[in-house]
Amino acid sequence: MTTQTSPADRIVLPGGEMLAWSDLPEGHSPAAEPLAALAALVVPAGARVLVAGPHDPALLDRLAHAEVTCLLRSYPDGVALAARAARVVVGGPAGLADDERFDVVIAGSGLDAVESVEGARLGWGGVLARLAGALRPGGTLLLRVDNPVGLRRLVDADPWYARRDDHAWTIAGVLDTDHPANREQVRDRLAQVGLHTRACFAAYPDPEAPRALIDADRLARHTTSGLFDALLHEACVDGLATATVLQDPARLAADALHAGLGAVLAPGWVVVASRQPAPDTADGPYAAPVPLPVALSRSGPDGEVLEVVDDPRGWRWRLRSADRRAEPAAPFATREAVHRDTATLDGEPVPEGRLLRTLLLDAALRRDLHTLRRLLHGYAAWLMGQAGPDGTLGDAAALATVDTVLVDEERYTLLDPSWRATVPVAAEVVLARGLRRFATTLVTGGYAHPWTSTLDVAGLTVVLAGVAGHDLDRATVAAAVDIEAAVTAAVRGLGTEGRAVLLSELRSVEPTDPPAGPRSYQQLREAWLRQREELKRVTALLKWTEDLLTSRERALRRAEVTINLLSGSMSYRVGRLAITPARLARRGARAARRRLRDAMATKPKEQQ
Amino acid sequence: MHHANHFYGHAHVLARYAGLGDGHPPRINGYVQHGWNIGDGLAPGHPYVERTPSLLWSEQTRRRAWSVGRRNLVVIGAPFVYLLAMRAADPPPERREGTIWYPFHGWEGQHVRGDHRELIARIRDTEPGPVTVCLYWHEYGMRRVRRLYEDAGFRVICHGYRGHWWRDTDPYFLDKQLGELRRHRRVASNRLTSAIFYGIAAGCEPAVYGDPMVLADEDPTFGGTARIRRQWPELHGEVVDLPTAVAIARDELGTDHRCTPAALRELLGWANLQEGTS
Repeated sequence: MTTQTSPADRIVLPGGEMLAWSDLPEGHSPAAEPLAALAALVVPAGARVLVAGPHDPALLDRLAHAEVTCLLRSYPDGVALAARAARVVVGGPAGLADDERFDVVIAGSGLDAVESVEGARLGWGGVLARLAGALRPGGTLLLRVDNPVGLRRLVDADPWYARRDDHAWTIAGVLDTDHPANREQVRDRLAQVGLHTRACFAAYPDPEAPRALIDADRLARHTTSGLFDALLHEACVDGLATATVLQDPARLAADALHAGLGAVLAPGWVVVASRQPAPDTADGPYAAPVPLPVALSRSGPDGEVLEVVDDPRGWRWRLRSADRRAEPAAPFATREAVHRDTATLDGEPVPEGRLLRTLLLDAALRRDLHTLRRLLHGYAAWLMGQAGPDGTLGDAAALATVDTVLVDEERYTLLDPSWRATVPVAAEVVLARGLRRFATTLVTGGYAHPWTSTLDVAGLTVVLAGVAGHDLDRATVAAAVDIEAAVTAAVRGLGTEGRAVLLSELRSVEPTDPPAGPRSYQQLREAWLRQREELKRVTALLKWTEDLLTSRERALRRAEVTINLLSGSMSYRVGRLAITPARLARRGARAARRRLRDAMATKPKEQQ
Repeated sequence: MHHANHFYGHAHVLARYAGLGDGHPPRINGYVQHGWNIGDGLAPGHPYVERTPSLLWSEQTRRRAWSVGRRNLVVIGAPFVYLLAMRAADPPPERREGTIWYPFHGWEGQHVRGDHRELIARIRDTEPGPVTVCLYWHEYGMRRVRRLYEDAGFRVICHGYRGHWWRDTDPYFLDKQLGELRRHRRVASNRLTSAIFYGIAAGCEPAVYGDPMVLADEDPTFGGTARIRRQWPELHGEVVDLPTAVAIARDELGTDHRCTPAALRELLGWANLQEGTS
């Protein structure tokens, strides 16, 4: 809700602005979308909102139904965002008028980014008190707090205490008691300034660009949730795809989930808190706080945010209107291998169960071939059971892989059936694609497994298919690689060239390669160890082969000596003379047969 | 690769199952366990090329092999299991009768110390029906030993020559053994050996009794016969609980771990052959 004043007139400069500084990323930061969706959820229509600190412009766009005041430290950022806000205050938190009150305060970049280099420092606690003071009774604070011992820091290749970038004029760390360092401390500090914590979301994989926000209490409780497993994995793989890290963040996130530490080790937390006392009178739209979702995650190339909400009937998918595309792309309107129809997901139940990939990895590590056989048999039977009479799978089932299928007892379900194949795919190719993805994870990820290092990725896929009870050939696996490239290119929004590069990469994956995605020191080292072991194996094999060859050559020489001796004997010569007519006759017959064959071959050509 | 892969026609059975025909099997990229084994799956003193795959019968053997430093291990089940799968549709034997008895054998370089006469007396006292004694080719070729069993009224047979240095392997060794096993109601030996497990898998009631005899130069690394009796007491005796024996044989032969033909071709290094069998 912007006024008719010109953008320049909306900028207020109370002092403390940074003139040669910008916090905004150069490009659009799509990863901020779950945070923006959450912000839109807690801001009622017509509310007065303070957006404190730098935020992606997309977040402001989601708050068009409210009257937004931005509090920024950077003057260039103020100019850039002025068109999207009713007012922009450029300066430190001291620049807010003392008597100003807001219905909602959003500090999605944390409190450190609110303070300017100019003027006296308030510190984390001081800024919180200032912002809490700007909330009207019953108002809502949306606050991001970074975890000093969170996953992002744990996997970071650079130590947090040695930052050298321009933002690091001070470094906030766990040593500073003014900064809360865990969820309990955050709750206590909020309570000290009269705020009641309504909800806390774990932000993955990077607090600055969360792709998934998951209710922290549920994350800690539902340790075997396939939904959370898949959300964390996707967030870590996609969100840190180009990062250099110490260890695989997706592995660590899944381990944390299963240990009940998903919230404790979250890279950051997004807290929703209310100013107390609660309003004792119904006051327009602010009286009843909206129920908060279980999780919000960004998915797909269009950056749609899917919510999971708690419903009396169980968890359900929810797609807000702002995230709903006007018209789902019709299959005929696109030449892509897949298209997405999230609208059909809205209101559908979220299936329960554990993620198939996690169960398979666990069984592979424990060398539990019985469990592997049971799981893979079940997965293959579930796929084949959906195939049409022509043996093909269409729509969502054609895209089911071990990364997207949940297992509940003996029941297999696709977690998110909104992705659809444009054309049907042979069921065996779908199976091969799922198994090849798992084989790639297993070998390039450096996981211990029950098979030998002599298998390449295609070979391991064939072996896995055998465990699933299907005798696949390599041609089926090759067809699965083509489908994989087409599907991944469509999901990532790659063009023809990108797709060709992807296909080439997929075809050339070797078991001694590190996995695609974040460059992890641990996995790079592991890949090097695998290469070294393979070299050792091949060298030992070469030596054995050389020794064997020497021994066989010696045996051959002995045999030749014997033959020569026998060839020179009288009985050999007499025998050879005796069979000479037979040899000549045989030679003549062969020549006649050859001439006849040549004649037969040239005749049809002449007729042509 | 190693000539032991060809013992008892194992490589031939696997090649037939993998769809490569009846010819000479291609080289196997690894060591196929060639007998039931209480060690790491390889024969004692077997020249081992580091990290070359060991293709083992059972999960228990895999764990044991790993614990003694072997790597690149994979459980594929015994070749006999593949033979059973190929001959699952054979018509059932008209009548199973008597006992097939396997006196414990060493290999060519070893000599068994024990009293055959005493063993013959024990077999006579125990076995209710006709007895077929199957001798290892080495003992079958020793006229004196063979005569001892023949004079006792036993039918004496030999399944064939296991082969050595890729030569003279009987490619139908296991087929012959399966055929004999299916003719008998019981299988027995004085030691728990591959033949007892094969017999159980082929539908025989097992028994292990009598002087286990002693091998000259027997390798004590994995505990020998004493350990076998400690670890599998339920398989020893003149009468053994059949369901228990079937379950143990299933584990020891790795029946559930039988690969599909395509998977087997991958694991044996036969997926990208330049030439087929010859």
